[in-house]
Amino acid sequence: MVRYLLIRLGLTLLTFWLIVTVVFFLMRLAPGGPFDGERRLPPEVETNLRAAYNLDQSLPRQYIDYLAMLGRGDLGPSFRQKDFSVNELVATGLPVSLTIGGLALLIATTVGIAVGLKAGLAPNTRTDTWLMGLTNVGMALPTIIVAPLLVLIFGVALGWLPTGGIGSFNHYILPPIALAMPFTAAIARLTRGSVVETLSEGHLQTARAKGLPESLIIRRHILPIALLPVVSYLGPAAAALLTGSVVIEQVFELPGIGRYLVQGALNRDYTLVMGVVVVYAALILLFNLLVDLAYVRMDPRIRLQT
Amino acid sequence: MIRSRLTRVLFDTHLARACSLILITIVLLAWLGPVFSSWEYDQIDWDALESPPSLQHWFGTDFIGRDLFVRSMLGARVSLGIALIATLVSVIVGIPWGAVAGYLGGRTDQLMMRIVDVLYALPFILIVILLVVIFGRNPYLLFMALGAIFWLDIARIVRGQTFRLREQPFIGAARILGVATPAIIWRHVVPNVLGPALVSATLTIPGVILAESFISFLGLGIQEPNTSWGVLIADGTQTMESSPWTLIFPGTLLAMTIWCTNMLGDRLRDQLDATGAGYTRTSSTRTHMRT
Amino acid sequence: MNPLYILLSRVLLILVGCWLLNNAANSAESLRLGNPGEPETLDPHRYNLRLEETILTDLFLGLTTFDAHGQIVPGAAAAWTTSDNGLIWTFNLRRGLKWSDGEPLTAADFVYAFRRLLAPETAASLAYFMYPLRNAEAVNSGELPAEELGVRAVDEHTLVISLEAPYPHLAERLLYPTGYPVPAHVIKEVGDAWVKPKNWVSNGAYRLEDWQPQSHVTLVRNKHFFDPATIERVIYHPLANEQSSYNRYRAKEVHAISNFPSGELDRIRKNLASHLRLSPLLSIVYLVFNTTTPPFDDVRVREALALVIEPEILTEKVQRSGNIANGSFVPANVVDYDPAVMPHLHLDENARREKAITLLREAGYGTDNPLRVTMRYVSGMEAKKTQLAIASFWKNIGVETQLHHAELKVHFADLRQGDFQVAQAGWFGENNAEHYLGLLVSDTGNINYGRYANPAYDALMAAARQQADVNSRNKLLRKAEALGIAEYPVVPLYSVTIRRLVDPAITGWYENSRDVHPVRFLGWR
Repeated sequence: MVRYLLIRLGLTLLTFWLIVTVVFFLMRLAPGGPFDGERRLPPEVETNLRAAYNLDQSLPRQYIDYLAMLGRGDLGPSFRQKDFSVNELVATGLPVSLTIGGLALLIATTVGIAVGLKAGLAPNTRTDTWLMGLTNVGMALPTIIVAPLLVLIFGVALGWLPTGGIGSFNHYILPPIALAMPFTAAIARLTRGSVVETLSEGHLQTARAKGLPESLIIRRHILPIALLPVVSYLGPAAAALLTGSVVIEQVFELPGIGRYLVQGALNRDYTLVMGVVVVYAALILLFNLLVDLAYVRMDPRIRLQT
Repeated sequence: MIRSRLTRVLFDTHLARACSLILITIVLLAWLGPVFSSWEYDQIDWDALESPPSLQHWFGTDFIGRDLFVRSMLGARVSLGIALIATLVSVIVGIPWGAVAGYLGGRTDQLMMRIVDVLYALPFILIVILLVVIFGRNPYLLFMALGAIFWLDIARIVRGQTFRLREQPFIGAARILGVATPAIIWRHVVPNVLGPALVSATLTIPGVILAESFISFLGLGIQEPNTSWGVLIADGTQTMESSPWTLIFPGTLLAMTIWCTNMLGDRLRDQLDATGAGYTRTSSTRTHMRT
Repeated sequence: MNPLYILLSRVLLILVGCWLLNNAANSAESLRLGNPGEPETLDPHRYNLRLEETILTDLFLGLTTFDAHGQIVPGAAAAWTTSDNGLIWTFNLRRGLKWSDGEPLTAADFVYAFRRLLAPETAASLAYFMYPLRNAEAVNSGELPAEELGVRAVDEHTLVISLEAPYPHLAERLLYPTGYPVPAHVIKEVGDAWVKPKNWVSNGAYRLEDWQPQSHVTLVRNKHFFDPATIERVIYHPLANEQSSYNRYRAKEVHAISNFPSGELDRIRKNLASHLRLSPLLSIVYLVFNTTTPPFDDVRVREALALVIEPEILTEKVQRSGNIANGSFVPANVVDYDPAVMPHLHLDENARREKAITLLREAGYGTDNPLRVTMRYVSGMEAKKTQLAIASFWKNIGVETQLHHAELKVHFADLRQGDFQVAQAGWFGENNAEHYLGLLVSDTGNINYGRYANPAYDALMAAARQQADVNSRNKLLRKAEALGIAEYPVVPLYSVTIRRLVDPAITGWYENSRDVHPVRFLGWR
């Protein structure tokens, strides 16, 4: 178990280092980028960049310095947002994004598992068909259509919730719901499928024969096995959640790092994009690592192997 | 054999028939529709800016007086075209990759699958953003980014299938007969993994369409005056109160296409499952959430 | 099933509880205003954009300032006198002025500020606003030290400004952030980090409390200001997107917005008439050509593209939002000035089209070698409509246009770098012709985006600037204008009519041609 953990940790660090290196060299190659010698930069930006990135040094030296910078947690100055450093932007944007993403994940897992469980325990009944039909719709409606519609209905027409920005608790209601929708549907389907498979497993008959109450059977025998595919889905779900959150932040005008990332790309703010990509990569890898560990803990078959 | 199963998948139930019909209609309209309209995709009708559907403009006009029907069909061509090419690329790269990894096993397999794992962790949007920041806004970058991501699922599935195949006696026989490894992979492994691979490919199509629409919605993909469904929806949401048709038409087309391809892809998968190809459900859901 | 439902209902209960608590607590009423975009900087000497000017007007007080109706009134200076030859201006500062940290504001602060504005290290794009000062241009290019600048503090409350040549519009020029004082005592300690909220010191009715990019800029009342404001806190939200701006206003999340989809104008006239404010602005929106690189270094190409643009169609058919087509570079509503219109406007449509195609052919472009251009504009529906329409005008003469858009601050930053072929640009503000014509003078700096350089034009402008009397100035300016416009370095399109929605509960909001509404004059009904 410990050996498995160390191997996974090692691989995660290796992947992170690889990503950082690729990003570094890609930025250096950018035609017309700040590190392209031919480009004329506004003087203030030039001074800042030169100071931050030691552009006068040789390339290998710059790379080492860059790694050292990252080690210190310094992501450099923003190319386009003059009065701010990337650290400052990430520090204000990350809490917003994490809150929205976290809430969305919470909604998707609790509602999705509940729905999938209900459908799975009564397969091929009317409930099952209706619920699965609903999930179908939920997955087909793209966020880019649903989110603006929600803003119009709940924000403008009904006036129940804010249409965008941050500032109060209410601002964090609509965005996570809009973000969570496709994932709730996906998790519901996954749960339902795996519950149906688990229902036919042999050990359940034994449990029922013992006279255990149904809720206990569900809790201790069905759920943990049925949830395994869901847990392994959470890894790639985080990546998809990130993409979705970038769109949500755009539609609801939330100052999260997803929004900074897109603005950075459109504005060709190289340093900001570099910094945010590194942060995102770190988060995703960390999340994937945690999910893998959770999976190993939950699946007794693997646990006994390692 | 595949052909009659295909017909069964596409036409057996009412729902399947409806979906197939819708998809065929959309494809035909995208291909031929603009021929029947007298408007160009970038032609401005100065007297009919933001006007509702009428006889002159079947879907109405957008904010600058361009015919929405022609633009929706152009958008369809772009969105579907990108989806098809990306799927093709992912099949061409994914099947050999997975087959080689699965067949050779050992260190090679570890390395190849490790690469897949690393790439799998990266969200599609990060790659697009990196490419856009470096090279500017260029639709061909979209192809590159799509190509870099969507082959991963296919590779994984093919590798899993190949593992199972490896133990089969006919593979063993080929080896004893002295058939070279590349020939074994090409002539014996690949044809047998084609089924599940194609199912996965079918399910990447809605994923790609969705990914492209997200990227274009954010302004990173297709640029004016070209268009795709994502661009049309982005514009539509800006004027959805004064001209709701600018959102309704492209939005419905996108949603319908995604729903129908999902539907038919599911049916295809169910058919193969029923015949015991051993294809798991988990991967398919991952596939169409693969953005 | 049960445990899950229990968990769900518990979570829901907690959420509802938080929501109720939150709604009870939120009672403080700050003024929330929509701004057309995100500021690039809040350093008054480095600003460029009107949206930054709006915020800076609340944060600082210059020698002169606006009143609630947009008229020029005394600001930090209680009174000023001009010498007979118009070269020496003496400003008497108000007594008892303080910075927001309580330090006294003196004439020496203004001397420091002007020197900082014109120092080459500051790299201020709008430094040329203060070129009328003696030696200003030489100081700005590094030829002379800052001490040689024609500004002197006689004593704590008297500031003397010496000019190169008589400049009757100095009082108006000092309205803008380039003339604002900056806190020397803070800058000497923390350098450029003085603009951060934790270090912020300013002398206006408000000081900076918080700035979160893409979210808000929060200003809080300065209790050391000589005429304290009514409103305690004002929050500027960057609302560049017309539709979401409109959504937020209707959801009552902001009290005033400065843009909304033009397609909604009719509905607003019907339902929100008391909120609607339309004010024609002293402004000109134009296309600027980069005259330093092909294809627009060739005057024939510039003229050809200018010939086929129809500003009336843009304003009447495409925008339909109250903008007014303008055939001259100096806006038609500038006082006491009769501008020179573009020479081709008397020709009819077909004649213009023919001429354009001929010119392009002479320059080497035709059906076998079509002209390909990239046009830049500011992200947003109105600009997109306008540029697409212009692209379609150009398509008629065989020109293929690629469009490129960017966020407002980025768009103008790129323009200042000269990183464009043809682009949408705009200029606002003063009520005199020189303000606009100065954009085409070759030594203006990077605000002359297209780097247009015509020695004859420069000579006429220099001669005009020597004149003490406004009428003789205007005569020479008119000559320069006619000369310049005939070479088509820019194509004037229209003057902007700002369309706003303002909550009727706000008092002190008066429409004016400069569209300034300092928050210190605003209050609640």
